[in-house]
Amino acid sequence: MTSEGTSPDPWEVLRTLPLGQRVELTDEQGTTWSGTVLPSHELSGPRVLTLKLETGYNVGIRIGPQVRYRRLGGPPAPAEVVTARPSGPPTGAGAIELLTTGGTIASRVDYETGGVRPIAGQDELLDFYPELRAEGTVRITPVLDVLSENLTPPDWLTLAGKAVEAFGRGAQGVVITHGTDTMGFTSAALSFLLVDLPGPVVLVGAQRSPDRPSSDGPSNLHAAARLARDRRIGEVVVVMHEGLSDDRFAVHRGTWVRKMHSTRRDAFVSRNGPPLGSIDANEIHLGPWVRPPASGPARLDGPLDARGALLSFYPGLPASRARQFAEGHRGIVLAGTGLGHVATEHLGWIREATARGVVVAMTTQCLEGIVDPFVYATGRELLRAGVTYLDDLLPETAYVKLLWALGHASSPDAVRELLLRDRAGEFLRRRTAGVPP
Amino acid sequence: MKVGLEVHQQIATGKLFCACPSELVEEEGATFVRRLRSASGEDRYVDAAAAFQASRGLSYRYTDGPSSCLVECDEEPPRPLNETALDVALTMALLLESRPVDEIEVMRKIVVDGSNTSGFQRTALIAVGGRLEVGGTTHEILSICLEEDAARKVGGDRSEVAFRLDRLGIPLVEIATGPTITSGAEAREVALEIGALLRSTRRVRRGIGTIREDLNVSIEGGHRIEIKGVQELRLLGEYVAREERRQQLLLGWREELRARGARVDPTVIDVGAELTGATQGPVASALHGGGVALALRLPGFAGLLSTPASTDERLGRELADHARAAGVGGIVHSDETTAAALAGGVADRLRDALKLDAHDAFVLVADRSEAKVRRALAAVAKRAQAALEGVPGETRDPLPDGRSRYSRPLPGRDRLYPETDVPPIPVSPERLARLRASLPERPAASRARLAREHGLAPELVRQIVYGGELDRFDELVERGRSAGAVARLLIQELPAVPPRPDGPPFEPSVELLDGLLRATESGAFSKEGIPAVLAELAAGRTTVDDAVHRAGLHRAGADELARVVEQVVGQQIELVRQRGEAAFSPLMGDVMRQLRGRRDGREIADELRRAIARRLAEPSH
Repeated sequence: MTSEGTSPDPWEVLRTLPLGQRVELTDEQGTTWSGTVLPSHELSGPRVLTLKLETGYNVGIRIGPQVRYRRLGGPPAPAEVVTARPSGPPTGAGAIELLTTGGTIASRVDYETGGVRPIAGQDELLDFYPELRAEGTVRITPVLDVLSENLTPPDWLTLAGKAVEAFGRGAQGVVITHGTDTMGFTSAALSFLLVDLPGPVVLVGAQRSPDRPSSDGPSNLHAAARLARDRRIGEVVVVMHEGLSDDRFAVHRGTWVRKMHSTRRDAFVSRNGPPLGSIDANEIHLGPWVRPPASGPARLDGPLDARGALLSFYPGLPASRARQFAEGHRGIVLAGTGLGHVATEHLGWIREATARGVVVAMTTQCLEGIVDPFVYATGRELLRAGVTYLDDLLPETAYVKLLWALGHASSPDAVRELLLRDRAGEFLRRRTAGVPP
Repeated sequence: MKVGLEVHQQIATGKLFCACPSELVEEEGATFVRRLRSASGEDRYVDAAAAFQASRGLSYRYTDGPSSCLVECDEEPPRPLNETALDVALTMALLLESRPVDEIEVMRKIVVDGSNTSGFQRTALIAVGGRLEVGGTTHEILSICLEEDAARKVGGDRSEVAFRLDRLGIPLVEIATGPTITSGAEAREVALEIGALLRSTRRVRRGIGTIREDLNVSIEGGHRIEIKGVQELRLLGEYVAREERRQQLLLGWREELRARGARVDPTVIDVGAELTGATQGPVASALHGGGVALALRLPGFAGLLSTPASTDERLGRELADHARAAGVGGIVHSDETTAAALAGGVADRLRDALKLDAHDAFVLVADRSEAKVRRALAAVAKRAQAALEGVPGETRDPLPDGRSRYSRPLPGRDRLYPETDVPPIPVSPERLARLRASLPERPAASRARLAREHGLAPELVRQIVYGGELDRFDELVERGRSAGAVARLLIQELPAVPPRPDGPPFEPSVELLDGLLRATESGAFSKEGIPAVLAELAAGRTTVDDAVHRAGLHRAGADELARVVEQVVGQQIELVRQRGEAAFSPLMGDVMRQLRGRRDGREIADELRRAIARRLAEPSH
């Protein structure tokens, strides 16, 4: 074999070959490799060419200066094409609308970069999720295309607006596909922003990407689409796996739910109590506290004021840093220890902040249970310093509610009153020892 | 005939992508149910084998336990690849003179039969090329891969399959040879050599199912057939021979079918009305259960579905296997003249309804689900059409009697796409140099050493090295046990232990075997008692002492020996007087019945001779 081209260094040529180019290499040990050029992995070593061999395996070959190469014809013929399509026509029922925001559920592996890329548009989505159409008409509206860690409060407003528009177009329910990392924030935000909902707004995600046969995306999405057609619900909920099985799904209230595991399918958990309901193959079971649909029309009750913050206390947090952090904010939610405590050295900045009109609210980093200022002296001192205790709200839910309250009231007292008043069923008020209340 | 071999050996280093032990366990934990669907590979084409499995719409029930974690549950991404397992694979590459890749890319091989919770098997190509000398022939090595073993199937029916997760993720080294093997016997020799080479690394798991072979067989004019997962090495030659015969028959049938102008009529015809009188058998029960009976016409196939009587292979069975793989219980075809479903004139009514003449055959499928019947008949039609072409390439399951059965289409290259959760792993020259400096002893060298150092017979040496006993042999000898006793224990006495009807197989630790041999050396019981003591250990005794007592083999003391001998001689005193010293043989039998295994035979004989001599020396009355 002779080396093509004039470059003295084969690496310089091989690295710039178009993706999918088939080549034959003879390495410095005399071994011949033929396959398709793939982009090098972002974590590959220097001068390593990634080849997809005819067997389908990818390998990395170090391209030394003595490597000889030869271009071959086009890509090898693919195997038999089998397109799996669902059988049978849609079975009627009302239309629902699907809003997409990105995240694992709307992404697939990009074989060119080895990373994950978003699903491009309606056709590809329906291709991936044929079960979406199983129960009736679905209108798909792409809204955002971001991984959920990149979402911001203005995005929550955008999404809420799109949900209102969907109901305005006559949707019976709305499904929102969402990255799971911050889905709990978004579900809480939509819970506060959307009023008079005539049907459910169902957030759904996936913990395993949809390109794997075992993805939880299809079954979660199918369950969410079924729930979106349920006429008993007028609130924002999250639907995800209830356990490790693909045949049961939990329905969580948007303000109670939190991602409690980085990888498991059943990562989403309702804090302080059981979920609103569950979905199995045959039925949707709903508990007694589900908020019924309003007669509508759905409204967006903005705005949000982003001058609120969430600060988790930890042993060793200098009071000076917390004081700096509080500056420029109209309100701060503290995730305190236990029943709602921070070190007493923080009393100083808290007193100053509340005195100048900053709302300081307390939640617990235990996540489960209430905060209560009366049990320990520290709590009583924090209460005297002007801290508002938010009962059993999750820190994240309290933060989102703070932004909403700041957007709806100007005086600190009015903000505090909004914070303490139940708006979307976010306060559970009663927690039991295990059995659903 | 061309035969290629893939040897899969489990590695005892802990699992490939998590910190779980690579041990099978009986203890069960949580259970969960999943479904899988085929996902597009990197070229957006669905692999035929994967689509076939996904189309069956099964649920999978998994049970975890002490040997599995969230990774096996597909609830956590894979952890970094087990470096020790990789060292074993790279060591094999060096032993086989293969070329390791410079950077390992872990791939996902789509497998949606439920045996992998993720729907894919993680696999990586470690090295390519290489050679192996067996019996004077050099065989080509194609590739060495490192991959995850699949979950253990423990039960199931037509809608749900049950798996245990303990085996999932155990590292497998896969060694594939080129098609350089030309007979079943040679396939077995090559497999033995590769097995011995793998075991020379001393990091492989032992026991049933820890090494499995896939066979690729093709004959001139045939097609590549993959027989997957042979566990019984002794049957390897049989599978090859039978597959060769099967392909020859298929080619013969093709000629006959072509000569007859046979064809496949894909039209599916409802024959429920013709079968209404049926009262027995699966067809009747399907129809009574509200199901359907549909048939397919195979003009020109008559008589070929059941020939020849001289072999087990039938074209009808090939069609039935494809129907079963599509989800029904089986088929009825027109050559089955004794089938219950066709009795009482039904066959003639069917032939009339299907407008068949004497050369034409039909295939009938009945089931409660019409969709299943149609899927099965489509599979039958496809297979019948393939009979006109000769040998269809496919994957087959080995059966315990040496035959094989269709399981699924051959997988294609589109099954592989990158495992994005695992970064590429560089294979550094330093790592290879380190492994090269400590390569294990090759099987040929081991055989020479055993013959030289221990004077063992060549056949015994061969059994030790190729029977997978070298590591235990060396370890026991290093512990000071005699080579002869160790060899007898490993090659004769242990394999003779009767298998347990239920429960896990008897796999004694080296410590236990050491203790057993020590006990005979110290005279706690005689070496004739080893089989009985092993049987007790296999039955669950945890210590050698306990097993010896349970076997009633604790060494007879001098008193007991003297007492038994005196008693026997006393009972047979007439015989002793009549025959003198010649009474020894019959009396020895009597004594041994009471003391076998509890005292060395020579000591018993000496005692008996002395006792007889004493009696003969006594003055007679």
